[in-house]
Amino acid sequence: MSTASTASETRTVRPEEPGKARATIGAIVLVILVVAGGYLSNADWGKLPDIFTEGGRYFSLMLKGLVQNPFSEPYSEYWSAALGGMLESISMAWIGTMIGAVLSIPMGFLAARNVSHPVVVQVTRVILNAIRTLPELVFAIILLLPIFGFGPNAGALALGVGAVGTLGKLTAEALEGIDPGPVEAARASGAPGSAILRWTYWSQVLPEVLAFWLYRFEINIRASAILGIIGAGGIGSVLSQAFRYREWDFIGILLFVIIVVTVLVDAVSGAVRHRIIAGSGVSDAKVEQDAATL
Amino acid sequence: MIELNGVTVRYPNGVVGLDDVSLTIPDGQFVVVVGLSGAGKSTLIRTINGLVPVTEGSLKVDGVEVAGASQRRLRDVRSDIGMIFQSFNLVKRTSVMNNVMMGQMHAIPAYRSLIGAWSADEKERAFQALERVGIVEKAWTRASQLSGGQQQRVAIARALAQDPKVMLADEPVASLDPPTAQMVMKDLQRINRELDITTMVNLHFLDLARQFGDRVIGMRAGKVVFDGTGAEADDAVFEEIYGRSLTADDVLPGHA
Ligand SMILES: Nc1ncnc2c1ncn2[C@@H]1O[C@H](COP(=O)(O)OP(=O)(O)OP(=O)(O)O)[C@@H](O)[C@H]1O
Ligand SMILES: [Mg+2]
Repeated sequence: MSTASTASETRTVRPEEPGKARATIGAIVLVILVVAGGYLSNADWGKLPDIFTEGGRYFSLMLKGLVQNPFSEPYSEYWSAALGGMLESISMAWIGTMIGAVLSIPMGFLAARNVSHPVVVQVTRVILNAIRTLPELVFAIILLLPIFGFGPNAGALALGVGAVGTLGKLTAEALEGIDPGPVEAARASGAPGSAILRWTYWSQVLPEVLAFWLYRFEINIRASAILGIIGAGGIGSVLSQAFRYREWDFIGILLFVIIVVTVLVDAVSGAVRHRIIAGSGVSDAKVEQDAATL
Repeated sequence: MIELNGVTVRYPNGVVGLDDVSLTIPDGQFVVVVGLSGAGKSTLIRTINGLVPVTEGSLKVDGVEVAGASQRRLRDVRSDIGMIFQSFNLVKRTSVMNNVMMGQMHAIPAYRSLIGAWSADEKERAFQALERVGIVEKAWTRASQLSGGQQQRVAIARALAQDPKVMLADEPVASLDPPTAQMVMKDLQRINRELDITTMVNLHFLDLARQFGDRVIGMRAGKVVFDGTGAEADDAVFEEIYGRSLTADDVLPGHA
């Protein structure tokens, strides 16, 4: 009886610990993926040092364009082409974000376990995951360009569809994280489903969801520049033309505009995000963490 | 009138929340339900408005059978029953007005409620509900900026905006400090008297139960073990209901 010395006389039934099977399987899969990844990526690491020798030469060529008088020919044209292209990229990113945001609202509700039927949740999640695994480039090439032709509209649509995967998932997760109390109070008052979704679910997630949209806009600015390279217009298209003619000074100006404008947009969008989140009572860090999956 | 006839509630996990309970609560009565944690107080309250389904027996609110009612019928029944919670259950990220408006949602068409286009009448009704609990001036404040007592008053206003015949309150003052608890209980009592709303409140402070209960119902293990007036519910009765002697935790601090 020595082992029972610290135990109390009466023992109540201990509750059963929940199973660990899922976490274990997850860990095994992760290890397999990491090991497999190591084997599969047989990059030519021997070429890596070339970046330092060759890279430096191109870099100085590109810098040349930036130090010229921007009001002299052909640099004035370079700058206006760069700024015009960037503007088009930004609008492509903005429209794409709007499309993605609007589509992601119903998807988010359908994918939230505390809103929809389990079967609907599963089906929606499969769709969202499928979208998330495909980069925008794939949407642009396979789905959209042949239908809409090459241009900013196709680009915006590709960005929008691409955004639905992550925005839908994040919206669903935010919805699943709401305080269920107000939902119960609303149900207890005899409110119809539409009012409950709008005024308990949606009101609670709105600040977070807006922040996610802005995050996605920041990401879409970069993505739209890349989409342009395959012909979706915007500064990416200008860049690919400059590459074709090896106009290194023009390329330098284009890259400079992309970097500066992207940083500026990030700063403005970030400030707006912080304001939205600060007034909402959600932790900023939590939103940042969630958005890291965008 | 609320009539329970042999009502048994068994949760999906097999736990019996209510065990063959029969009660009749006449219109306008102020009923306090007491009992230890797990006795079935919340289950009783939540069964009355159909948040918890009846397993066996019959439960009628104003003659309408709640047991086995369709979702539509339940919504209609619930629109006449206000409910107040321990944790207030307000949407903190929206205005007091929008929170109180929830009490009228059952009568507002979706195309207006989705965009928050409340009519002047609806707003006036919300103001009147807020007026009754003395916080009209907070109508446009964010709910998160209110104190606990103010939040509970908004929750009462939300229930009043339903123009209810019955008010259910599940430990409405358990999260409040003693003076605020007194005030909120007085609000509920005043509303019960002025508007003749049948009121059923779960409490765990027995002094509050005696002070406010026209009628006190004691529960233990899902059964009604005491049913009498507040005056009849003396310490011996409470020890009987609780199955133990009373402690300082059973009275509102600094009150008894
Ligand atoms: N949703 C549920 N599913 C399963 N069992 C439940 C559920 N809700 C309550 N119970 C069980 O039913 C019994 C009565 O619970 P109830 O919440 O009605 O007690 P209570 O008197 O309100 O207690 P407290 O004072 O702690 O709020 C308890 O054994 C509880 O564990
Ligand atoms: Mg309870």
